[in-house]
Amino acid sequence: MWIYEKKLQYPVNIKRCDPNAARIIITQLGGPDGELGASLRYLNQRYSMTQDKVKATLTDIGTEELAHMEIVSAIVHQLTKNLSVDQIKAGGFAPYFVDHTTGVYPVSAAGVPYSVMTFQVKGDPITDLTEDLAAEQKARTTYDNILRLVDDPDVRDVIKFLRQREIVHFQRFGEALRIVQDDLNAKNFYAFNPSFDKNCNKGYRK
Amino acid sequence: MTDRERLMLVISRSDFMLTELRLYLDTHGSCPNALRLYKKYQTMKAEAVKEYTEKYGAITPDAVDTSCGWMWTKSPWPWEGDC
Repeated sequence: MWIYEKKLQYPVNIKRCDPNAARIIITQLGGPDGELGASLRYLNQRYSMTQDKVKATLTDIGTEELAHMEIVSAIVHQLTKNLSVDQIKAGGFAPYFVDHTTGVYPVSAAGVPYSVMTFQVKGDPITDLTEDLAAEQKARTTYDNILRLVDDPDVRDVIKFLRQREIVHFQRFGEALRIVQDDLNAKNFYAFNPSFDKNCNKGYRK
Repeated sequence: MTDRERLMLVISRSDFMLTELRLYLDTHGSCPNALRLYKKYQTMKAEAVKEYTEKYGAITPDAVDTSCGWMWTKSPWPWEGDC
C-alpha cells in the first residue's frame, strides 16, 4: 500500500510561465516514455518476478516514478499558471486549452492521451526487465530532447534531476536482470520462463 | 494467530481507521470527535508499527534497521499470499 507525503522529491519553483515548454514537457507525464507509464509498468510487473531483490527493485523504482509523475505535473502546472489568452494563442497551447483549460491531463507532446499500449507486462522476468532497461533509456533520451528545447534554468534544473534518475534506474535494472540470469542455466537463459516453468533454476536436477 | 499476524492486524485496523477518518476530516476538519479518534489511532498505529518493526522488520523502507543488514528485500511480499 502507499502513503502520500506532502512534499516533492525535488523542488519545482518556476518563475516564468511558458505554454510552449509545458506542451513539450507534458509528454513525460502522458507520453509513450513518460513517468505514468513507467510507474504502471514496474508496479504491475512485480507480481511475476521470481527473486526478492528484483521484487524490491521494481517496488522501489515504481514508487519513485509516482513521485516523478508529480514533479512533471508540477512543472506543467507552474508553466501554465496565470496564462493570458494571448499567451495561449501565441504559445501553441490553444488545442490543449480547449479541452483541458490549464488542468494537467496525461497526454503526449503531440496531444495523444496516455495509453497503456505503450508498455507490456509479459509475465517473464527476463523479457520484462529487458523492456525496463529500454524504457529508462527512452525516458533519458526524451529528457535530453527537452533540454535541447527549453532554456529556462528553473525548468532545466528539475529536468536534469529527472534525467539523472533514469540513468540510476537503468543501472539498477541491469543488476536486476543479472540477478535473474545468475539463477538460470548459463548456456541458455531463454530456455525457460522462470516465472512460469517449474524447476528451471540452477539448483534443480532431474 | 501468530504474534506477527496479531500485530499486523492491529496495524491494518488502526491504519484503516486513520484512512477513513482522514477522508471524513478532509471535509469536516473541525469535528472534535473525529479529531479525538484520529489522535487515538495515530498512537495505536505508531506503537504497533514500532513493535512490529523491532520484531519482524520494517514495513516502510526508511525504517529499516541496518544493523541487521539490508532486510528490505526479504520475503514474504504482501501480494504473495500462502500459495
